[in-house]
Amino acid sequence: MPAPEVATKVRDAIIALKGADLKDPRLGEVLNLASQMSEAMQMFFSSIDRTLFDEMRYISSYIQRTRVEISNLRPNDLSEDRIPRAGAELHAVVQHTAEATNLIMAVAEDVMAADTSDPAAYQAFVSDKMMEIFEACTFQDITGQRIKKVVDTLTHIEHRLERFASVMGVEDAELEETSEDKRKRENLLNGPALNGPEVAQDDIDAMFGTEGPSMDQNDLDALFD
Amino acid sequence: MAVDMNAPVLVVDDYQTMVRIIRNLLKQLGFENVDEASDGREALEKMRTKKYGLVISDWNMEPMTGYELLREVRADEILKPTPFIMVTAESKTENVIAAKKAGVNNYIVKPFNAQTLKAKVASVLGDF
Repeated sequence: MPAPEVATKVRDAIIALKGADLKDPRLGEVLNLASQMSEAMQMFFSSIDRTLFDEMRYISSYIQRTRVEISNLRPNDLSEDRIPRAGAELHAVVQHTAEATNLIMAVAEDVMAADTSDPAAYQAFVSDKMMEIFEACTFQDITGQRIKKVVDTLTHIEHRLERFASVMGVEDAELEETSEDKRKRENLLNGPALNGPEVAQDDIDAMFGTEGPSMDQNDLDALFD
Repeated sequence: MAVDMNAPVLVVDDYQTMVRIIRNLLKQLGFENVDEASDGREALEKMRTKKYGLVISDWNMEPMTGYELLREVRADEILKPTPFIMVTAESKTENVIAAKKAGVNNYIVKPFNAQTLKAKVASVLGDF
């Protein structure tokens, strides 16, 4: 039975008792006190019910808003279409690049191993092989278009996630280091730097004394400071 | 001391294209005896069955990296003296310093050219 209903029943019972022929006046005082307590309880329970109702309504609207925002993310479109397609595009880029590189290297190997005893035949052979290299280089146009599609997909996902995080007030959680992260950290697997090497070959040469003065251990240690 | 051009060279890289490029460049330099491995573990197995005059290794490979291979080689009494050149896209200062501390003989940052490879091989093995 809901709390306000209980309070009403108690109050009704007190009113009924007060209406009866009570011989002891102290019993009337007790009933008055009980009546006041009952009214106070009813107000208290009413306020609790309203607070709970407001809380539930807020949670419900929050869930509804979350559903709308998740729907706007179009997760099914991302997981079933855009991301797999981006993966396939990158796979094709790797494949085309490898094929073109292998073709160019094969042509270069053929030219290096060619018979040079007949200059005219050698020149014709080299010309044909150069044409094969030009043809192989056409991969760059296609891979450029494929990579642009992948970049577009990433930008699309980035914008939607940014909006979702902003609307929902999401903040980044602390992540635990995975075994893969640990391996990368321990093995210094940083990958290629953007915009060229972080340390130029000339600077590395200086460390190894290949050209110019070599760095000793103190110089190397100083780089850590 | 003259460089033994017949001494086998071990090229360690998980990208077949890069192995092919280095193999061709070494061939141009006069090194015909070139073996391949696709990661540190395979390289280590080959090094324990054959003596190599030079190891040219990438850094980022699975399951054993070139950095792990370098440390294994330098910790092995028999393999320790093998000249070791790292050829890698890992170009952070911490990588170069870690490799140097681990005992690498020279370090080449990708992309590189034939002249750079020749100069580093010569710096490790002597002029040829």
